[in-house]
Amino acid sequence: MTRFTDIICVFRIQLAGTRREVGPFLLAAFVFPAAMYLFASAVAGAEVAPPQSRLRFLAGSIVFSLSLTSISWLGYLLLENRFTGRLKLFATLPLAPSSYVFGVLLFAVAQAAVSTTTLLVVGRALGVKVRPNFPLLIVAIVLTILCLCGLGVVVAARARSFSQGSLLTDTLGAGLIFLAPVFYAPEMMPSAVRAFAQLLPTTFAARAVQTALAGGPGIGNDLLVLSLMAVATLALGFRLMKWRED
Amino acid sequence: MTATIESLSHVEVERRTTAPAPPREIAVRVRDLVKVYRDGTEANRGISLEVLQGEVVAIVGPNGAGKTTFLRQLTTELRPTTGSVSVFGVDAVAEPERARRAMGITPQEAGVFERLTVHEHFELFARLKHLSKRKAREAAREVIAELGLTAQTNKSVGALSGGQRRRILIGLALLGRPPLLVLDEPTTGLDPSSRRAVWGVIRRAVAVGATVILSTHYMEEAERLSDRIGVIADGRLIAFGTLDELLAQVDRSYRLSYRDRIDPLSDLKIRYFASFAQAQQHIARELLSEYSIARASLEDVYFTLTGEAFEKEETGAIG
Repeated sequence: MTRFTDIICVFRIQLAGTRREVGPFLLAAFVFPAAMYLFASAVAGAEVAPPQSRLRFLAGSIVFSLSLTSISWLGYLLLENRFTGRLKLFATLPLAPSSYVFGVLLFAVAQAAVSTTTLLVVGRALGVKVRPNFPLLIVAIVLTILCLCGLGVVVAARARSFSQGSLLTDTLGAGLIFLAPVFYAPEMMPSAVRAFAQLLPTTFAARAVQTALAGGPGIGNDLLVLSLMAVATLALGFRLMKWRED
Repeated sequence: MTATIESLSHVEVERRTTAPAPPREIAVRVRDLVKVYRDGTEANRGISLEVLQGEVVAIVGPNGAGKTTFLRQLTTELRPTTGSVSVFGVDAVAEPERARRAMGITPQEAGVFERLTVHEHFELFARLKHLSKRKAREAAREVIAELGLTAQTNKSVGALSGGQRRRILIGLALLGRPPLLVLDEPTTGLDPSSRRAVWGVIRRAVAVGATVILSTHYMEEAERLSDRIGVIADGRLIAFGTLDELLAQVDRSYRLSYRDRIDPLSDLKIRYFASFAQAQQHIARELLSEYSIARASLEDVYFTLTGEAFEKEETGAIG
């Protein structure tokens, strides 16, 4: 119970931090991924793009938004807490570092819920035919967030300076999207990049989200890989995120 | 067999009430604390001390002497290379989270959450100290009043002055009335009246039973607030005791400031003496006419112990 209260309090602290930035936050959460959707549609030829491609663009935009939320913004938040001395304030409390990380993760999930819902609404408005399998979609999104957040935590815990960490999270957030078959089919990628993309969580996330949006099952393998990646990145993140320095 | 108060004779009751207070328990015990950083810097070299319950201990020392490293190890933020720290009997090295439950900590440099209101900041952190909702609200109100921030209760922390933010950091340490307060330079950057307000807060915490360990660069603060003073220099605790004990240690209980008889336009000269009589003898021997004798201060002891250059412009009345 205490642990749950700790997580909720950390979440509330982060939430209160964005209270005056709701407008810019929603704008950023929506504009980047929506712009990517429109860009991909334009490149593919809006009129001729088959429904399957448009569904991929929407799924890609959702994964892009998750990547932004979980790595770039969450990383920024963690880095800000660390390098402005706020983390020190948490470290003075009888609070487990894992509770802090879970509180911040909860905040990322809340952000992702807002941006994903917005994108789904916009996708529908733009005529993308979706028949979401919501339970699977939610599982895919949560696993993607956990996995990507783990990476954000690792970078934030290891960065030597705010600017170094910020550069890394931005690079990682964008790199994971554009090096994986998120907005395009894997066949369109050079073979070396295609092989590399098999190591990226966004490859599995994009496939899982796209399939879940199409209403289909058959994403067990993708979810399994995402789960394993989430466990691995979070375990590493928890290991590195500690109050006590050596 | 333990006698109840009713079964004791008047004499026994009187004897018991006038007898000296029982020895206080040890709140913090530090043994042979060594911290060597990865780059080889030896920040603490075998510090040992004991702090009694209800005591105020000030740690002073030059910049880079190892004060903050010492306090960070005490608060479990930094793992000692060797040595032990025990807080109310809890091994702070082995059980840092449990040890922190007994502590209220103000780090030297910590950030506040600027977008929270003052009340939210205190209430949420009180919850993180595991106070119930009601108690957290009460604790927040109480601390806000104690720190003189009532008018700022619903203001964003970001709108506060630097001094007020520093007070928030001190207030966060006070939440939940922990039995041990560890304050790293709590009044640095505060104006004189804010500093005195913080002294009042610390004194009130001690009055209700708190033990306080603080570091400071202000000798006056250490002298006024603390029961005992530790001087850290070059990573070592080179002196630890009451002001009188420190004065006795350096054999400099009195300071004589005087104008040279032969060269009256020269700067004031300063000499220290172990006793008032010795200072008087010196005055008589040197036929001094312009002089003042004062009880030596912590600052005098500090400069003697740390070997820092004593560059102080002396002004004021000459006796």
